[in-house]
Amino acid sequence: MAEFSLKIIASDRLFYEGKCEKLVIPAPDGEVGILANHENMVIAVTVGDARVQLPGGEWVDVAVGAGFAEVVNNRVILLVDTAEKPGEIDARRAEEAKERAEEQLRQKQSQQEYYQTQASLARAMNRLRISKEGQRWNL
Amino acid sequence: MANTKEIQTRINSVKETMKITNAMYMISSSKLRQARQKLADTEPYFYALQGEIARILRHVPELTHPYFDKREGVEPEQRKIGSIVVSADKGLAGGYNHDIVKLEEELLTMPGEHKLFVLGELGRHYFAKHDVGIDMNFQYVVQKPSMHRARNISSTILEAFNKGELDEVYIVYTRMENSMESKTEKVKLLPLETTDFKIMRMPLNMYREEIELYPSADSVMNSIVPNYITGMIYGCLVESYSSEQNARMMAMQSATDSAKKIIKELSVLYNRARQNAITQELTEVVSGANAQKRKRK
Repeated sequence: MAEFSLKIIASDRLFYEGKCEKLVIPAPDGEVGILANHENMVIAVTVGDARVQLPGGEWVDVAVGAGFAEVVNNRVILLVDTAEKPGEIDARRAEEAKERAEEQLRQKQSQQEYYQTQASLARAMNRLRISKEGQRWNL
Repeated sequence: MANTKEIQTRINSVKETMKITNAMYMISSSKLRQARQKLADTEPYFYALQGEIARILRHVPELTHPYFDKREGVEPEQRKIGSIVVSADKGLAGGYNHDIVKLEEELLTMPGEHKLFVLGELGRHYFAKHDVGIDMNFQYVVQKPSMHRARNISSTILEAFNKGELDEVYIVYTRMENSMESKTEKVKLLPLETTDFKIMRMPLNMYREEIELYPSADSVMNSIVPNYITGMIYGCLVESYSSEQNARMMAMQSATDSAKKIIKELSVLYNRARQNAITQELTEVVSGANAQKRKRK
């Protein structure tokens, strides 16, 4: 299958650099799939589950934060604030973060605080979901 | 001349101080190394963000976005100018805090209403004593800069900017020039200047690939710009933290050196005093013995 080069850059490290067959990323209005020779595009990315099919057909899940993907000349750069493999996610920490965010959401907060907690809740829930899916496949 | 005991105590106390300064030197140098590593890790992300904004501006030059709005309608005297000041939590870092405060005072002379967002205990204490508007809810420490903290700071700033509570935002921080030198700097965070992004000038007859922004240019910019500001703030925090540790390392190094010099001088004094005491004792013994001899004759 045709391949394209993919670079996933998180704010604290270069997460992945190499070839890729298919890429599915979470956009604000649903998932976007990218194959080789995709049209040049810049796509906004929201918190969610990105899936990468490596050469050979193996699918890899990546928990991504907000950012964007850029497709230019058959090269894709996925630039997100966080990127984690299911195995790297600390499920307990995510669980705690989720509880903390839920408690904060019940309290009175300013609008800005509300958006912040909402965003951290989304990140925590996304991490939890992906880490649980990873467990399911390992069974 | 002081007696040997006094000098001895003095030497011991200087030695104790030297132990502390030496330990602080070691701590700072290890912290500096960690901070450097962090900065190197985040650099690719930051440069990619910057490159992306430049690319979008190149392809969509007529882009109008609230973050690029200079708000020229506002009079200079009425402009609300916010500045993020990154100082240290502790002193003993040479001129580090002083330089930051000096640069901020310079900025305060600009016309307009100023509002300060001060990071770090020392800067906060300094500006609290002076008559300037500080956002007191802005209680962040500068130890261990993290993306999370940078995100909180940038969301506070962006919200104030969007609401019109701030028209311009600067950040005052210290940048590492190289491993020896650091420099305090003032950088404009908002509104973004199109000239900050090096836009390549391309000949008119060259083919430019077209880039579609999905779902829309606005939504892409909305997701890039806050991240860019966050990245910028994070970079500044890490730079400042590195410079702080560097300044402290240098200060402690020179303190250790001068302690060594003092000890050297004191031990010369000590030896002299000890020799004096011995000589005096000897003279006393000898003269006593002589007196005895004379008596016997």
